[in-house]
Amino acid sequence: MSGYSAEVKVAETIAYKMVSLPRRIIKETQRLLQEPVPGISAVPDDSNARYFHVIVTGPDDSPFEGGLFRLELFLPEDYPMSAPKVRFVTKIYHPNIDRLGRICLDILKDKWSPALQIRTVLLSIQALLSAPNPDDPLANDVAELWKVDEAEAIRNAKEWTRRYAMDN
Amino acid sequence: MFLLDFFWSLWESITHILTFSRNPQNNKLSIHVKSNTGSSVDVDLDPQWDIGTLKEAIAPKIGLPADDMEIILAGKSLDDSTTIAECDLGEQSVLHAVKSHGQRQRRSRPLNQIMSDLVEENDATLTTVSEVPENQDSVQPPVADSEEKQQKNAHFYVYCSVCMTKSTGNPATPLKPKEGKLRVRCFSCKSGAIQLDSDPASWSDVLEPARVSGDCQEQGCSDGPVAWAEFFFKCAEHVPKSENESAAVPLYLIRANSRSTPCLACMDVLDTVVVFSCAHTICLDCFNDYMTSKIRERKFVLDDNVGYSLPCPVGCEGSLITEIHHFRLLAPNLYNLYQQFATEDFVLKSGGVLCPHPNCGMGIYPDDDCNTVRCTCGYVFCKRCLQGNHIGDCDNAVDILTGLSPSYTIDPSRAAQSKWDEASHRSIRAGTKPCPKCRTATERAGGCMHMVCTRCDFEWCWVCQTSWTRSCMGSHWFG
Ligand SMILES: [Zn+2]
Ligand SMILES: [Zn+2]
Ligand SMILES: [Zn+2]
Ligand SMILES: [Zn+2]
Ligand SMILES: [Zn+2]
Ligand SMILES: [Zn+2]
Ligand SMILES: [Zn+2]
Ligand SMILES: [Zn+2]
Repeated sequence: MSGYSAEVKVAETIAYKMVSLPRRIIKETQRLLQEPVPGISAVPDDSNARYFHVIVTGPDDSPFEGGLFRLELFLPEDYPMSAPKVRFVTKIYHPNIDRLGRICLDILKDKWSPALQIRTVLLSIQALLSAPNPDDPLANDVAELWKVDEAEAIRNAKEWTRRYAMDN
Repeated sequence: MFLLDFFWSLWESITHILTFSRNPQNNKLSIHVKSNTGSSVDVDLDPQWDIGTLKEAIAPKIGLPADDMEIILAGKSLDDSTTIAECDLGEQSVLHAVKSHGQRQRRSRPLNQIMSDLVEENDATLTTVSEVPENQDSVQPPVADSEEKQQKNAHFYVYCSVCMTKSTGNPATPLKPKEGKLRVRCFSCKSGAIQLDSDPASWSDVLEPARVSGDCQEQGCSDGPVAWAEFFFKCAEHVPKSENESAAVPLYLIRANSRSTPCLACMDVLDTVVVFSCAHTICLDCFNDYMTSKIRERKFVLDDNVGYSLPCPVGCEGSLITEIHHFRLLAPNLYNLYQQFATEDFVLKSGGVLCPHPNCGMGIYPDDDCNTVRCTCGYVFCKRCLQGNHIGDCDNAVDILTGLSPSYTIDPSRAAQSKWDEASHRSIRAGTKPCPKCRTATERAGGCMHMVCTRCDFEWCWVCQTSWTRSCMGSHWFG
């Protein structure tokens, strides 16, 4: 993880790769790099400006506190008419995230609107870490346990955070 | 402040036209002048002429002294000092010459300019129109500059069936709206020789007939001095072939971006934008992207009053587009898809079924008491499960002809229709299953097995291909 200091250099290298990109993506990227959302870093890939390497810091007072979670975010061809595709790369024990890292979040599906941005998506994901929602119509084993024995579920989440999100 | 700005830009555009029209190549306009007694004169006009000069020129032909004559355009009597250039006439426009009623009308602002205020102001604040100061001369004309002035002149956009239905070459290219002009005629006799009693005060006044009254000076009009006005739009981009050519349809969500609102999708500030009733603003290119992605996802809404339409991209309550001609801007091949989906959804909503046979898709209203439907294409199918005609109940159907379980042929039934463009073909083949209820090809997005049919809203399970249950959530909610 190269950290924030490398971002300026990255911004320079991608600057001219972005020429063929829609202006909206360029603007969003510049803003993400210049005014990052606290606790979130999102950096476009060197070879593909539609692919972002994202790191979300586990929110304080959540079972994910102290963890650094890597995600990948991809802007499809018809972005912003369709939603970005986002997935957790780091394993995480969370009732709204499946074992492949896919996130069930309404704004990534039917509630997506072109007025939303990468920034809003990342903020929503951060919020989802602060407030897991096992009552959302998903009932995989994590969500089940979260409802039946929340203390046990939170212990698991902390254990996974320690094991997978702090090793670096 | 707004009004002052308005006059400055108005003055700029007038000065611009005048400058422009000094070019001798461009300056003749052929128009028709009709009198209310039935005679009609064709004149070639110099845009620098004023209305007084025009009156002198046509007086002998019309048989009405210039002093007794009024020239009416778009519901307004034109002042003698108004120049032809200021009238914003198109080639082959019609002016009406009528006998004056005695006292001269005060000079009033041309209709297109009044309406450009309405476009910019929202309907509730329209009272400013009547507060317009009378003497425009007190505003010092600033120096006119550059080309963008000409764009400010385009206040209305229309769908023109003459210009926009010609094959434009590539059927995958979106269409551009045409510039339009607002005109008015008598609601009763359809003559343009009507003088309005008041200006239209809102878009509703323009879009619905008989809301603004006027004095119709057409001889023999039954309504005469107590007539109702009817507004209509003309395409400004082609020369009309005849006077009775059908009107252009106003695409009234499309406006000049006078407030420099950034597009909600691309964030750029563009000259021409689509403004929804909720005030959300999107540029024309993004509007086309929006329509395109929604038609591909089959996410249009079939509304009983409006038709097959879309809300604003954010999905605001009550923001449905009420003039479906806005969708004529879709690339022609997608517009065909729009019409196909609209028809199919209408058939389904009104109790019909679509023939599931490959390359057919015919809409059929089956008998209430019989499950077997015979399509004109020859295919016989079960109206309940849309599988081939079968004996036994739908879940354990055995095909009458083959004795096998009928396997579903969703893909060909819709995708093979020649109307589908390449991109849809690809996405359809990538991973679709039919909705268990209405058989619409449905693509799986993301990892969820929980499917919601885009057509009938049926919630179903990708794995079980039946309705979505708690047990589906428990055992295979994700892939
Ligand atoms: Zn036209
Ligand atoms: Zn009349
Ligand atoms: Zn845009
Ligand atoms: Zn809206
Ligand atoms: Zn058929
Ligand atoms: Zn059946
Ligand atoms: Zn369905
Ligand atoms: Zn299932």
